[in-house]
Amino acid sequence: MDRQRRKILELGLGGIGLIGGAIACSPIISNRNNENNQPTPKKIVIPPMSLNEAAQTRIKTSGLDPIAALREFDYGKVSQENGRTVREFELTAKSKTVKLNASTDFITWNVNDRVPGPTLRATEGDHVRIAFSNQAGHAHSLHFHGEHASEMDGVKPIRNGAATIYEFEAKPYGVHLYHCHVAPVARHIGKGLYGMFIVDPPTPRPPADELVLIMGGYDIDGDGRNEMYAFNGLPHFYMQQPIAVQQNQLLRLYVLNMIEFDPAATFHVHANIFQVYRTGRGMTPTEETDVITMGTAERHILELQYRFTGKYMFHPHQDAIAEAGCMGLFNVVA
Amino acid sequence: MSAIISFISRALKALVKSKAFFLLFTLSLVSAIAIAACSNEPKASIPSNPATIESKTESKSGTQKDAMTPSHNKAKININEAILSELDKVEAKLGIAGLSNKIQAARPYTKVEDLVTKKVVTAEQFAQIKDMVGTETIELTGEAKDVDYLTKLGLMKGHMIVAKELLDLQKPDQALPHIEHPVEEIYADVEGQLKERKVKEFKQPLMDLQQLVKSKPNDPSIAAKYNDAIASIDSAIAAIPETQRQSPKFSLQVINTILDTAGTEYRAAIANDKIKEIIEYQDSRGFTIYVEQLYKSIASAMEKQHPDVHKQFTASLEKLKSAYPSAIAPDKPVLSVADMAELIKGNEQAATKVYAKS
Repeated sequence: MDRQRRKILELGLGGIGLIGGAIACSPIISNRNNENNQPTPKKIVIPPMSLNEAAQTRIKTSGLDPIAALREFDYGKVSQENGRTVREFELTAKSKTVKLNASTDFITWNVNDRVPGPTLRATEGDHVRIAFSNQAGHAHSLHFHGEHASEMDGVKPIRNGAATIYEFEAKPYGVHLYHCHVAPVARHIGKGLYGMFIVDPPTPRPPADELVLIMGGYDIDGDGRNEMYAFNGLPHFYMQQPIAVQQNQLLRLYVLNMIEFDPAATFHVHANIFQVYRTGRGMTPTEETDVITMGTAERHILELQYRFTGKYMFHPHQDAIAEAGCMGLFNVVA
Repeated sequence: MSAIISFISRALKALVKSKAFFLLFTLSLVSAIAIAACSNEPKASIPSNPATIESKTESKSGTQKDAMTPSHNKAKININEAILSELDKVEAKLGIAGLSNKIQAARPYTKVEDLVTKKVVTAEQFAQIKDMVGTETIELTGEAKDVDYLTKLGLMKGHMIVAKELLDLQKPDQALPHIEHPVEEIYADVEGQLKERKVKEFKQPLMDLQQLVKSKPNDPSIAAKYNDAIASIDSAIAAIPETQRQSPKFSLQVINTILDTAGTEYRAAIANDKIKEIIEYQDSRGFTIYVEQLYKSIASAMEKQHPDVHKQFTASLEKLKSAYPSAIAPDKPVLSVADMAELIKGNEQAATKVYAKS
């Protein structure tokens, strides 16, 4: 699918501009507007990620790109209808073999050839139109979390080769998700048919370096248990290629636990404490901690800053899960 | 007798048409007063941009006109949902071989104009077909609805066929997913139609079998429960009159849709020239075996009426079957994904000759 064509990034330097272009991800994504005479936000610095050779090879051979999954937001194709912002997304269920490590090929079911699927993003009140096509064999569907009418709930199976359109108003603001809801749901999600759906609040959050981290599990042998785990699709990838972040700068993590078969996973960062915005539903944090427990499909916004440079691990504190691939590093640079 | 049935069916159709006409007329009247009345279609809850509104209004009056001319009374073809044989009408209109597959492959479409932006057809070609196509979800009626219904039941049968093979091979664990799929993936899709087709609900026998295989995989009563489940699917199939099921044109639509799914499942089973997902391999096998059974019911009619197409179908079904030496998946695929896709596409294109003659 022509992903680049649909990429619309919102810029907020003294107003809102809509630019359709081929920018895959941008450091200024988060510099949203400040309409009410707020001081112009400082520019958020995204340290360049010079990918090491191993990471480059892995992206090439695995068929997945965790770097794109990290900071890339799909704002859809934007238009105005009746004075309202409409965002159109095209999502296709596909089947694709992913090389999880040197010796493990796993046939995923996914959205737009990605695991996780693209992170869709809208602002509360936008009208969202999702054209969904199934080209993956089994019947599939897309069920969105959030509020909508029952006929848009995405539990009706869409047969192979067919497509449908889901549409609804993006609400309420917060961090949501979408996933296939055809039974056995654990298998359909476990094979990769899910993604994040962010609904931004009407008054934007302060500028920050925004990162998406989705925890997923892989049941390689179909025994109903996960043998491997990953952040954003590829086991151990961010250990191999630490995520560069700027020292003393607000880091906003959109974290989703999409691990099937294990009832819960925590999220923990080393050497820091984060502020928790549960389900992204508030503008003020409800707690601060360094380990937060998330049941399957739970998701939060976590905010933190690193005072010291260096490398810091993040992982679920179910260490077996971490050691089976759900583990990564932030590389804090000055 | 058949004359009476045909008369009644014509009378009924006329009634439906007049209802449709009334509905469309009312709709266009309301939309003339307030464009927001487009919201009669769920996805037009916000009226679209002016161009889209125009095309929608146009299309309505087009359909309205068609409703008055019986020979053109056709609902728009939903380019997102239509099965290949329906898309063949668009293909025939433009005379472009393989267009149906191309339309299907470029799904989804948020609006009909996407056919041009996605380079499926040119702007000139689009102008010729724009009144035939839509993206509105249309409640299927008539033959299309029957084809859809039978396709879903056919997929259920395919799952059950391979499940039985695996049960017979003493592999209840491998049989289980194929017993689960009919009830978990497909049943919901036909459930709504059972009452109107006067078919007894049959979720329970499917679930009974599923639970038994899961909890007591060696229970001797599994065979009887399996037969109950099959009998209930068969009685749902029997809701479509046998004469219709023996019509080549009708059955080929079901056959091609099921084969298309078999091909996609086969592709989804293979990674690096190895069969990695045996469930999908087995699905594909079950669907193909069922297609062979279905084809038998139209084989003699095909042989008489469409000897060339018949020859092609029987030959390609033989080749397709070779992909599945047994229900237990071989380590390596016997038939390549590309070869299988080619065979299936060939069948779809051959079938268009049958549709054209019918």
